[in-house]
Amino acid sequence: MASSYMLPYAQQAPPSYAHPTEASQPRQHHWSPYTENGGVILGIAGKDYVILAGDTRSSEGYNINTRTARKVFSVGSGLILGVVGMSADGEELARKVTRKIDDYKRNHDKHITVSAAAVMLSRILYQKRFFPYYCQPLLGGLDENGVGAIYTYDYVGSFEREQSRAFGSAAALITPFLDNQINLKNQFVPGSNGEQPKQAGDLPRATVEKIVKDAFTSAVERQIEVGDGLQLVTITRAPPRTEEEADDDDWTGAAISVELSPLKKD
Amino acid sequence: MGGFDFSNHTRNAALMAAGMPAPKATSTGTTIVGCLFDGGVVIAADTRATSGSIVADKNCEKLHYISPQIWCAGAGTAADTEFTTAIVSSNLELHALSTGRKPRVVTCMTMLKQHLFKYQGHIGAYLVVAGCDPTGSHLYTVHAHGSTDRLPYVTMGSGSLAAMSVFETQWKKGLDREAAVKLCSEAILSGIFNDLGSGSNVDVCVITPDKATLMRNYITPNVRAPKELQYKFEKGTTAVLQEKLISKDELRRYITVTELDAQGDSSLTTDVMQVDA
Amino acid sequence: MDALVSKYAAEPELDIAEEDDDEVGTGLPQSVSFTLPPIDHPAKFLRAMTDDHANPSAPIKLKHGTTTLAFKFRGGVIVCTDSRATQGSWIASQTVKKVIEINPYLLGTMAGGAADCQYWLTYLGMECRLHQLRHKRLISVAAASKILANLVYSYKGMGLSMGTMLTGVGHGGVFGLYYVDSDGNRVEGNLFCVGSGATFAYGVLDRGYQWELTDEEALELGRRSILAATHRDAYSGGYINLYHIKEDGWVHHGFNDTNPIFWKQKLEKGEFQNVSTTLDA
Repeated sequence: MASSYMLPYAQQAPPSYAHPTEASQPRQHHWSPYTENGGVILGIAGKDYVILAGDTRSSEGYNINTRTARKVFSVGSGLILGVVGMSADGEELARKVTRKIDDYKRNHDKHITVSAAAVMLSRILYQKRFFPYYCQPLLGGLDENGVGAIYTYDYVGSFEREQSRAFGSAAALITPFLDNQINLKNQFVPGSNGEQPKQAGDLPRATVEKIVKDAFTSAVERQIEVGDGLQLVTITRAPPRTEEEADDDDWTGAAISVELSPLKKD
Repeated sequence: MGGFDFSNHTRNAALMAAGMPAPKATSTGTTIVGCLFDGGVVIAADTRATSGSIVADKNCEKLHYISPQIWCAGAGTAADTEFTTAIVSSNLELHALSTGRKPRVVTCMTMLKQHLFKYQGHIGAYLVVAGCDPTGSHLYTVHAHGSTDRLPYVTMGSGSLAAMSVFETQWKKGLDREAAVKLCSEAILSGIFNDLGSGSNVDVCVITPDKATLMRNYITPNVRAPKELQYKFEKGTTAVLQEKLISKDELRRYITVTELDAQGDSSLTTDVMQVDA
Repeated sequence: MDALVSKYAAEPELDIAEEDDDEVGTGLPQSVSFTLPPIDHPAKFLRAMTDDHANPSAPIKLKHGTTTLAFKFRGGVIVCTDSRATQGSWIASQTVKKVIEINPYLLGTMAGGAADCQYWLTYLGMECRLHQLRHKRLISVAAASKILANLVYSYKGMGLSMGTMLTGVGHGGVFGLYYVDSDGNRVEGNLFCVGSGATFAYGVLDRGYQWELTDEEALELGRRSILAATHRDAYSGGYINLYHIKEDGWVHHGFNDTNPIFWKQKLEKGEFQNVSTTLDA
């Protein structure tokens, strides 16, 4: 077991004999593997649904690379993954998660749960602790009780289950709005004189969908990296299985729907 | 000319070396264009001002007045374009008064380049100068370091490549006024949609020997999408620690109070401010 | 396959919390093969790309900032933390669980890199379970903390960032409390505060601490110390997470919003007189 703590050879410090001078050492050129492709994603979990939305712009500096980039991916087993940051890393991560979820299904002959997939994603991110993925992921799905779940991550895999979360270049614009409208922060029951905070209840899906759309139309106004289109992905509980579907291995109990709508393009 | 105060320069350099970020100036991304036509000149600009990747102003004015027949489109640091054009406008007015002649575009351009060259690019103003004078219609670009160009059609700012691509495919000799305005607006639209630093509306200014016409918000292709929900807070939603009531009469001693009716029209009464006796 | 395995596998002997997921159990091979950037000095690269006080504008901002405390007393151990995570000056989360439940007898606190703490304390939980299965008794806190300290020491200089208190009850009902950090320190003690708000927490904790505290007094002292830290440290805040470790394992004493606690403390007990509630003061 002790040997498993040993670092692979590449991680060990290179041997140093004399005092090497600046010139005698091989020069490491400035190496920058990361680019920021902008955009924003937003996830909200409800009593029996999950909404994960993202804009469809992918940019670099002042240039738009594409107006039709998807940031939310279906990764199998009724789960969805939103990624924002560097699109190359995000797409690679989505591919990796998709493959691992498929592996899980083949090995265990059952669909992975959101909570297990959440841990798995954390491990995938932490595996690159010393060369992180430059993207922030949001994982969405229905849990074992059919309740909506959003798992949020930092770059290297610390994670948490939350009700709502925005990531990306407009996160600072959208988060306060979400805090106030979804979690009802800083709102008190009128007449209680600030004694009784409003309790965040189960918001109906139609309302949340509108809040999400409003969040994006507002972000588009003030954040130049956000725009072009809105990809709104929703997971709801699938209707009960019919007789023919009883043996269907692909049935997950979750129904995923995608809605694309235009956003401002300037 | 040029009364800059450098007394904080050393201190700020030390602060920045210690890791404090420099304050952000608004607007570096812009699309501005200009185009000569038979009988005048057109300039146009977008109306977005940015601070980093945040839109600071969705409908700012980038077309600056220099003299009745000379206008300037500005890109670069917002404050620098604003003040440089204002200074030159003032000096050109004095110059016109002392010579008793209409100011010339070439004079304006020379004053701008000399001013900017003196400051070695530290004044971040990138300008398109256009106008009509007794010698004809003229169009110039002036860069922050002081270099200038004289061309039949020009573009500047972060959207200059997008805009120039429009000119390079569509421009031809001997355009009339209508065609020039259309070409310039299309060039700006190309910047608005393809350059993240540019956005919102198109402003156009047409200058002919007899008059200059500023067409503010000539095209508005980016109207704000209506909101799905209303976000009104019921009275009492915010917690209050202490209340202090100030009567309207008391307020009138310091400010002007305008009565509004339920629709928000100020039709009822308007009280004039009473200066404290 | 699962059906087959469960058919022939025996029930586990000890009723320790089970991992509900196979992927968690197979975490070990991953933990020893980290991907490195293809350059001469990976640690230097990581330092350039991740933020700290010397490099605030780095592209990757990891979650940081904390107040955590733990102290031993007559009735066991109290563990208390705030719940704020910050990325630079941005409050990334107000609902972080900074007390990591390693197993029903062991707790670890989170300060420094959130991912590092979460990952390695979960990994430690696995090692503790293996120890239990091999030796048929609970691991001691001393041994558990040493596994962690040796582990992070083997990565010294690579850029791990964690300051954790490992505490719990081991074989024979012995309470243990160790401070372990990514520099390789491992210190036993009766009382620790860790994180950016530690000094503020120490102020209150040292003033009120004595061995003979009752359970209620000890819980209140922990809560009050974190409250003081959230009040003065901008990088701490959110909710107060409180645990009490007794001889038969830990008990959770709530995850409570600091804001109403603060106002209760101020208005009902007359503390925090520095905060005015009037317009003209």
